Amino acid sequence: MLLGNADEILDVLKAFVPYYLLFALPLMIIISPVNPVAAAQEFPAFRMQQYDLHGVPHGCRSSVVSLDGRGLNNWSTSRHCIITRIEDLTADLYRDIRTRAGALIVVLPSRSDIAKLSDTAKQHIYNIESTMMQQDSQIPVYFTSWTPEIQSILDNMNDMAPAPSKMGTAAEAMFSQISANGYQIVLSAGHPQVRTEVNMGTIYGKLVGNGHEDKLPTVVLVAHYDSFSLMTGQTFGANSNAAGVAMLLEIARLMSSLYADSRTHPRYNLVFVLSAGGKVNYQGSKKWLEDQVDGENALPQDSTYVLCLDTVAGSGPLYYHVSKPPKEGSVGDRLIRSLNVVAEQEEPPSNVQLNHKKINLAEETLAWEHERFSMKRLPAATLSSVKSHKDPIRYSMIDVKEQLDISALARNTRIVAEALAKHIFALNAGKVFNNQLGVEENSIEMWIDYLSSMSRSTHLLSHKAHQVVPALKDALSKYAKNVKVTYMVPDKRDPEVTFYDPISSIVNVYSVKPAIFDLILTFAIIAYLLIVYLVLQNFSTIYHVSATVVGARKKYD
Amino acid sequence: MTLYHFGNCVALVYVPYYLTYKFSGLGEYGAFWKCFQAGLIYVFTQLAKMLILATFFPTSDGPGLGGFDYLTEFLKATVDLLDLAGMYLVLSGIPGKGHAKIVTAGVGWGGAELLLTRGLLLWVGARGAEFHWKYIQKCLESNINLVQHVTTAALVWMWTRHDLKKSLVPIVTFLLIAMTYKPLVMEGVLEVMAISAWSALATKALVTVVFGIITLQMYVVLAESIGMF
Repeated sequence: MLLGNADEILDVLKAFVPYYLLFALPLMIIISPVNPVAAAQEFPAFRMQQYDLHGVPHGCRSSVVSLDGRGLNNWSTSRHCIITRIEDLTADLYRDIRTRAGALIVVLPSRSDIAKLSDTAKQHIYNIESTMMQQDSQIPVYFTSWTPEIQSILDNMNDMAPAPSKMGTAAEAMFSQISANGYQIVLSAGHPQVRTEVNMGTIYGKLVGNGHEDKLPTVVLVAHYDSFSLMTGQTFGANSNAAGVAMLLEIARLMSSLYADSRTHPRYNLVFVLSAGGKVNYQGSKKWLEDQVDGENALPQDSTYVLCLDTVAGSGPLYYHVSKPPKEGSVGDRLIRSLNVVAEQEEPPSNVQLNHKKINLAEETLAWEHERFSMKRLPAATLSSVKSHKDPIRYSMIDVKEQLDISALARNTRIVAEALAKHIFALNAGKVFNNQLGVEENSIEMWIDYLSSMSRSTHLLSHKAHQVVPALKDALSKYAKNVKVTYMVPDKRDPEVTFYDPISSIVNVYSVKPAIFDLILTFAIIAYLLIVYLVLQNFSTIYHVSATVVGARKKYD
Repeated sequence: MTLYHFGNCVALVYVPYYLTYKFSGLGEYGAFWKCFQAGLIYVFTQLAKMLILATFFPTSDGPGLGGFDYLTEFLKATVDLLDLAGMYLVLSGIPGKGHAKIVTAGVGWGGAELLLTRGLLLWVGARGAEFHWKYIQKCLESNINLVQHVTTAALVWMWTRHDLKKSLVPIVTFLLIAMTYKPLVMEGVLEVMAISAWSALATKALVTVVFGIITLQMYVVLAESIGMF
């Protein structure tokens, strides 16, 4: 009875089992120990910049990589993707790679290591950067930051046998081919595409002087807030030009409290401009200037002076770059004098040097931002702590907050703010700013922290949704009146500047074996299966042998 | 690495099963359905085991003390005794005679395990761009498991027989328990000795073959005594 029931149950079970399995099998598959992600190494990489300026292409023209990974010492063909630390790369090697290799991944020091770099190491990086910037590259070039995992990949790659041709016998060569561990490097970024929407927002605001606004003289302070380096996705630009923006905002803060008090309300207008596109031939200030000239409140040429701030965090002297030497008694002349007076009072004494450089219209880009204004016949100058506009710090990937000298920036801000205040109050002696109202290092550092915490390449900032423009607008609104943003949009047909995506991607590094290895493996498996086959086919023999063994033992029992 | 490599792995893993099926004469008996049934019972046994594990041994949040871990692992391995019950079910549920019955149980059980635990692993892993020896090792391990499952089937079958020599009963019982706790012991030993994956595989193969030979000897005695060929 019980047994009969059991049979019935088994029948029911049999009838329902297949449907049940539809759920059970996938469940099993999900639960079974599978770990598919443990395979490849992955790390983020940032593509070398790609942009067209006035129709002239710059940077790296391709983006997709699927090649064999090699080190600097054992690559040979365009089928190889080279991974190297920037310390090991030289300008000559780069030129060679650019023409003959398939792709290049440059490993930069990690951000915390950048501050520890020696001056020679920094100089080396600057040299490589300028080489890479001079010529555009047809092969994909990527940058990534150093990690221990990347170091182990680098070590393995450099240990790989050089070229097979250098081997002794054919057998040795073949053996090394079979046993070699290879790396396959895959970067599946999309093909380079033109960024369609480009909006470069220039923020400007005004502090109106005491008196009839139109009749008062004006000083315009300009600092561009974007930065520029080979690595679009990781351009922090602390010195160039977060420092300039921080200085401008600090001066705006100090001046606004002077303007707010009727006893210290100067008879001078101050205009603050945070310009966009400073690294693409000062497109932002060009647009702003066009707006001003065309608009109602055009800047009068005779009573306006433009002072641009660019890369101002150096500890050395400040340079006062002009395209025309200022005349005796002009605003520029008086500004230099008061700057020098203030600089000498600093501890230790510093000075401000006049640097005259004519505008070279034959060059592709203007050297300094003031040239934009000088070309419109506005007296203008750029204050900077670097002597040449070609100084590598203005275009460097290693211009990060960690290697910025905040105290030098604060000192320079004190000099500029004090000199400017003296100028607008027409003071010859005494001090305008003191401990109660003076330059505060904290507030400068806060801005440097904020601005250098994110990549501020012109490319990224030209997104309309980028957070920096509203943040700067809010900040300036606290100090100045009538703060507005004007957007520079490149011409549709003949764009001044064109940016290309993608800017970053994920590098997948797979450790692979050569194809011949698989073939050898097949032979080995066939041999193994043959043995299994023989054992199984002769299993009855084995069975009988063991039967005899046991039978023999029985006899002895 | 590539589809070709996947092919290599599949050949390594499935061909021995196919050869066993073919050369043990199962094909001639039309035993495929029986193998399939054995596989179904395997699936149910695993489900039951999982339910028990999930109910009584929830995954611990952090690494516990060494001794406690060993106890948990021991208890978890004890759940594997259910495998023996499952195997018993297979042997009693599948009609069949003599050697074919045992091979059917072993191949069906092992085959189901193979499909469920190795199939996806190989499809996802061995086909990817990354090369790793572990897939070849897994394949070889499956081959060892085939021997182990056939051995277990034979042992369970012997254990159920009343005409098994009384002197052999303790050995059979010991071997069954040893089979169950073998993975646990192996794991412990490997961790203590910290040997490479290849030597671990070799040790596993050696132990399984030794168990297999001992079982074969006893099986031969029993089979001869009841006149089974």
